[in-house]
Amino acid sequence: MFKWRQNSAAVQTLAEPEAPPLAPVAPAEPARHDELMQRWISFAAMQQRVIRTLVSEIQQTSAVVETEADQLSGRFQRLAVCAEQQTARVDDLSRLAIGIEVDGEIVPIDRIAGLLEETLSDVVEKILMLSKDAMQMVYALSELNSNVDRVDTCMVELSKINKTTNMLALNARIEAERAGKAGAAFRVVAGEVRELSGATERLSVDMESELKAVTDGIASGHETLKRVATIDMSHNLMAKDRLEVLMAALIKRSASLASVVAAAMKEAEVISADVSAMVTGIQFQDRTRQRLEHVVDTLHVVDEALDELKVATAEALPPTAEGQSLDTEWVKKLLDRFTLGDLRARFVAQILDGEQPVEAVAAESASASSGTIELF
Amino acid sequence: MQIQVDRGAGQISMSGEFTFTDHAPFKQMVSELFATTGKSVILDLSKLDFIDSAGLGMLLLARDEAKKNDRDLILRRPSGQVKRMFGVTKFSTLFTIED
Repeated sequence: MFKWRQNSAAVQTLAEPEAPPLAPVAPAEPARHDELMQRWISFAAMQQRVIRTLVSEIQQTSAVVETEADQLSGRFQRLAVCAEQQTARVDDLSRLAIGIEVDGEIVPIDRIAGLLEETLSDVVEKILMLSKDAMQMVYALSELNSNVDRVDTCMVELSKINKTTNMLALNARIEAERAGKAGAAFRVVAGEVRELSGATERLSVDMESELKAVTDGIASGHETLKRVATIDMSHNLMAKDRLEVLMAALIKRSASLASVVAAAMKEAEVISADVSAMVTGIQFQDRTRQRLEHVVDTLHVVDEALDELKVATAEALPPTAEGQSLDTEWVKKLLDRFTLGDLRARFVAQILDGEQPVEAVAAESASASSGTIELF
Repeated sequence: MQIQVDRGAGQISMSGEFTFTDHAPFKQMVSELFATTGKSVILDLSKLDFIDSAGLGMLLLARDEAKKNDRDLILRRPSGQVKRMFGVTKFSTLFTIED
């Protein structure tokens, strides 16, 4: 595509094996040959500028990449530390999601629910037992009350008998008095019977008094039991139902939380691994720098070889009155391919205007301060 | 609470609220029913709206009485609060409960 290639077609044709043998050199040929050699020297000089400019660009780019890679590596290392801390926090969170820490031991939520269920079941069982025993005592006291009522009835009957006995004793005493002396013995018996009736009456009164105390005690006990038995514990029983619902919801929530935390843990591990891999990847920038150094070294060798060949060629040619002008046309076409303005400017300055390449370190600091990215 | 007794079928139908105040008629009805012949005694609870802890205690005493008489005590069709109370107290492990 460059002009010099079209002009060198004749030389390439001479190099082909199938080409006919060279014709005797005509008088005009040496001049043509010298011109071509001069052009080659000119082209070699331009090539050297290109090579030196490329070397400069490679060194500057390598320096910039190294600086940026170092900074990036530092940031990624901080990110890796943060990712590891994040993973540790998520790990802590996962333990918290599973259960509650009690005396340094993690007690799972479902185990807490089990303990609560066990405790509440025990409470319910005791409430039932209490209710049953209370009602059994109520039944027993009712039965006892019936027995006391029956005893009370017996006491009434006893009192009636005693009254009758007393009347009989009184009648016997009257009859004994009527009988006079003959009724003396009968009078003693009548007196004894009356004494007996009196004693029975006193005993009956005492028994009624005791029986009343028993009746009052039973009634008092019955009232107390009634108060105990009528305490409605159905709300307390239903509290177990509500707590079971709450614990089921708590277990469900704990499971959801554990699932979310497990997913977060996996993601945190992936992030941590990715960041570590990136840090490792960035460290391979050293190999890139070494490769570029090889490329630069090779270009230096090529430059030196061109220098030597150029000198040797120039010595073999007759001196010319005026130096061969640089072939800049193909360079301009080359520069037209550049889309980065600052790069193109440097190439123009160094290749066309012959300025010396900028030192790599100076260029690095300049690019770092002004920014190296051109948006287009 | 209202109680209806079907001695032939060995069934007591209870309605309203079963609380401490019903202990005397309940005990009497249960005793009467256990005195009859038959294997099972059924308490129809379909119209019973409420039961308190005293009521539960009386049912447990009736169960003991049934065991003494070698009879089965069946609780039939509990609903609402009564059914929830049976659930909380796990009555199904103590009684035969028919829906």
